[in-house]
Amino acid sequence: MSESQKMMRVEITRFDPDKDEVPKIQQYQIPVEPGWKVLDAVNYIKDHIDPSVAYRWSCRMAVCGSCGMMVDGEPKLTCKTALSDYGDAIRIEPLANFPIVRDLVVDIDGFMDKFRSVKPWIVRAKERAQDMEELNSRGTYSQTPAQLDAFRQFSMCINCLLCYAACPVVANEPEFIGPAAIALGHRYNIDSRDEGSRERNAIFRGEGTVFSCSFANECSEVCPKNVDPAAAVNQAKLGAVIDWAKGLILPKGGA
Amino acid sequence: MAGAAHPEAMAPRKKGSTRTAPPQTPTTWWSAPRIRTYLLFGATGGVYLLMGFLVLRLAWALGKGPQEWNAALSSLSNPLYIGFHALVLVSLIFVGLRAFGKMMPKMQPRGGPLPVLPAATVRGVIYGAWAVVTLFMVLVLSGVIF
Repeated sequence: MSESQKMMRVEITRFDPDKDEVPKIQQYQIPVEPGWKVLDAVNYIKDHIDPSVAYRWSCRMAVCGSCGMMVDGEPKLTCKTALSDYGDAIRIEPLANFPIVRDLVVDIDGFMDKFRSVKPWIVRAKERAQDMEELNSRGTYSQTPAQLDAFRQFSMCINCLLCYAACPVVANEPEFIGPAAIALGHRYNIDSRDEGSRERNAIFRGEGTVFSCSFANECSEVCPKNVDPAAAVNQAKLGAVIDWAKGLILPKGGA
Repeated sequence: MAGAAHPEAMAPRKKGSTRTAPPQTPTTWWSAPRIRTYLLFGATGGVYLLMGFLVLRLAWALGKGPQEWNAALSSLSNPLYIGFHALVLVSLIFVGLRAFGKMMPKMQPRGGPLPVLPAATVRGVIYGAWAVVTLFMVLVLSGVIF
């Protein structure tokens, strides 16, 4: 280590479910290299100072969505956040709005429950023989570029959960389905191959309704992949209302 | 972390065997500029609530008879009421700009049902509408019409 190397104070939330009643902050003084990301600092602490620090990470290139943490109070992908954006001290905490399992690791089972609830897969009402013949002649479930463009943005989500950590509604309404799950449900609703929008719209209107969203827009502000979940949620609101109105007016709900 | 989130926020349907610490809210909840804008947006709800009470009071005065109605109308010239109406005007413009400037573009799914007007047109329509309403109110209150 050269004498001129920059030192940085890193504060990390520590919580051991076997010992601690509540999370506490632990400070580390580390040398930082130019070009380091926040994840590099945590890795340095794990490798050289305190191997007991627990956190999730994997790809190091903003693809896997594992390393989301609160950096100075903001939800960030730590592999994408430069240390040089901060001063001589930085505070790293587990994602807000999630139960803390240990140190920087949060419990994502609640998210997975919500994720599954919106049926994030292509639902086909029925496969008719003649349809299949036609489909096979064109290539099964083929789409035009315009049909793909309609939902492509919303399919870029990497489930990093930053949007859940930023959302004030998630913090206050445990039932709220939340930005990423709604964005994904909406992504399938506007997929030309899908026929399950009525089922999803019923979920969007039910418990954890999309109408709980008060359009803080925080989810889109923090999204590292520019998915714009706030757009999806508000489009889903409109879709849910149109679907409800169709159900009132049209025979068999327009099905 | 600034404070506690709802204790059940993002809790799984089935509790795991590991004891977890309760969820927290971000430290920057009150201080981040964009959160302040959002809170300001929410706070305008209080202004509309007060405006609702004012409308109820006027409706009540109308029901009581001409004397009460005239008294209620003349009380509106109180500087406090004029200030309050200016606040309502500012609140409505703020909410209008946020809704149409931010929300409507987000409501535009690609190939979706709502066409979105250019931002300059939306701003012009909102400011224009409020200029007309304000002019109308000035003309009514000053006795030029009615």
